[in-house]
Amino acid sequence: MAADSAYVLPDDELAQLQKLSGDYQPEITGPLVGERQSSAAITAEYANADPVYRTKTAALPDKYAYFRTCRGDGQCGWRAIAFTYYEALLREANVAKFDTEEARLMSMANLFNMAGLPTEMIMDFAEDVFGLMQKLAQTLRNGEGNADDVLLQTFNDEAESMSIITFFKFLASAWIQTHPNDFAGFVHGDLKSYCGNNIEPTASEIDYVAVAALAAALIKPTGFGLEIMYLDRSAGEEANVTPFVQTTEQSGLWQPTIRLLYRPGHYDILYKAEDFPVPVQPVPEQAPLHVALANPYNDTFIAAPSNVDLMAMMPGLYSTGLGQRWPSVSYDFDATPAPQPMQSYPPAPEAIAPVTSSHQEFVPVHASPAVQHAPANHHSIQLEAPPINLTMQQPASTTLERAALSLERPGPFRPSMYELEHMHALPLQTSIMKNSHYNTAHFLNPDFQPEAWSPEHGSGSKGKHRSTS
Amino acid sequence: MSTGAKKRIMKEYGECLADTPTGMKINFDEQNMTKWEVLLDGPEQSVYAGGHFKLEINFPNEYPFKPPVVSFKTKIYHPNVSNDDKGSMCLGLLRPDQWKPPNKVVTVLSLIQSLLIEPNIDDAIEPSIANEYKENRKEFEKNVKDWVKRYAK
Repeated sequence: MAADSAYVLPDDELAQLQKLSGDYQPEITGPLVGERQSSAAITAEYANADPVYRTKTAALPDKYAYFRTCRGDGQCGWRAIAFTYYEALLREANVAKFDTEEARLMSMANLFNMAGLPTEMIMDFAEDVFGLMQKLAQTLRNGEGNADDVLLQTFNDEAESMSIITFFKFLASAWIQTHPNDFAGFVHGDLKSYCGNNIEPTASEIDYVAVAALAAALIKPTGFGLEIMYLDRSAGEEANVTPFVQTTEQSGLWQPTIRLLYRPGHYDILYKAEDFPVPVQPVPEQAPLHVALANPYNDTFIAAPSNVDLMAMMPGLYSTGLGQRWPSVSYDFDATPAPQPMQSYPPAPEAIAPVTSSHQEFVPVHASPAVQHAPANHHSIQLEAPPINLTMQQPASTTLERAALSLERPGPFRPSMYELEHMHALPLQTSIMKNSHYNTAHFLNPDFQPEAWSPEHGSGSKGKHRSTS
Repeated sequence: MSTGAKKRIMKEYGECLADTPTGMKINFDEQNMTKWEVLLDGPEQSVYAGGHFKLEINFPNEYPFKPPVVSFKTKIYHPNVSNDDKGSMCLGLLRPDQWKPPNKVVTVLSLIQSLLIEPNIDDAIEPSIANEYKENRKEFEKNVKDWVKRYAK
């Protein structure tokens, strides 16, 4: 024992260490709720992790095209559910539902009374909950189209977002305490002190019990679905999905599903590609290109996507002699011979199952109406790919031998800054061959070999921070 | 400080004005509403009777999502108040991991009053005073009265 005693710290020193560790706050960065981004970023984040994570994250972008980070400040799970609840209301885009939801949550005051909670103080926080609902409903009514920005902005305001979270915490607490039959079996001790110690304090992170309570109190009555995907070291090829609430059709209307990604200690938000139908937007006119190409054709040039074939007008541009139309889509500057696998979802109300041939990659594009993307069969693509027909709206439709172009860049120009602004829509950019799955650094490549991080590239995308919350 | 925080502090002050708890006086400066000065009388039934204690409440910018900080500006001989020039208090209610945003300052002040009547020995910040309270109550009371006379008249 004498030998051991050397390693036993005196009580006050232990207490001091305990205090230090209790007070330790990891450095927290990033927005409270981030922008929606390609989930390939998650794959990239785990490129150097252990094989279980690598396999699971490699399979992720196929099913869940996008994700959104939540700051790991201990509130991430609460914030993720609160944010996605509002976002689901926006996705359903039924203005009347904002009013019904406000009335429904207002009636929860009874629940607070029944649970013996300070109803009056809690309803102060509800003001922010309802304020945001009214703001979003108004934005929808006005058709301003920026409701998503309003939502993101509000949730990135610390005070407003904390108010909303606080209301939802007490909603969970009240629900648990007023539904003892559903919860008593999952909780040690009595429900009141459990909620008082584990749910109501600001510092309390969300736990399974609270998620179940919010699923029942907040999500289920709206008809929305709630799924949580667990990404951990457990066996399996893919992360496990737990459906907490199934969507229920409400008056024949499609209902969105809220999806969260759980990594031990942290929640983020996930989306499937079809959660965001890509609206077919008119292609932006290429005015910058027009200006840049000062040539005799300028006078007669009318900048409209359907009648311009500038490249073909310029003599000697193509060794093939083919007049290539440059489709105005964002991926155009990639040096790969293969057609880009892509699929844009129609704004149909029904969710479309992610399709058939494996390795589909969902690229958000503003699909040009002039270009028909033939469904690509990726398994048979060789260097000598069959010619792909790009049907044009112009009477003279052009057949393009892309194979012939394969060994050189498609044009003599550097990608201009005007195209660069679209680049962020690409799911994964590797430095060597951009977005090609022929590149072994692309996650769809069968010989996938992740690129190592190198200091010159900085710490990578902003979504990559690891946090424990 | 967010408008929500200001609104909340004003609301709490309004409630305190309308119904001030006995034995307390709150000095509120609208120019600096995040710092309240409270004059607390030693409760009649306690050994602190006859003393007048000045307390300071500081509201963080994140209030009410972070707890207010309460400290004694008048020296007091008490197991739950630090025996230094900070006079800081260690109240479970105010600990960052236990703080709940609907908690009100007036609840905190009432709790402090009750602590003057009966200290919370298990949660003491001054172990030696707590020990004395447990083992030599006479000596403890003598020291309390002595300090009241010296600092809190």
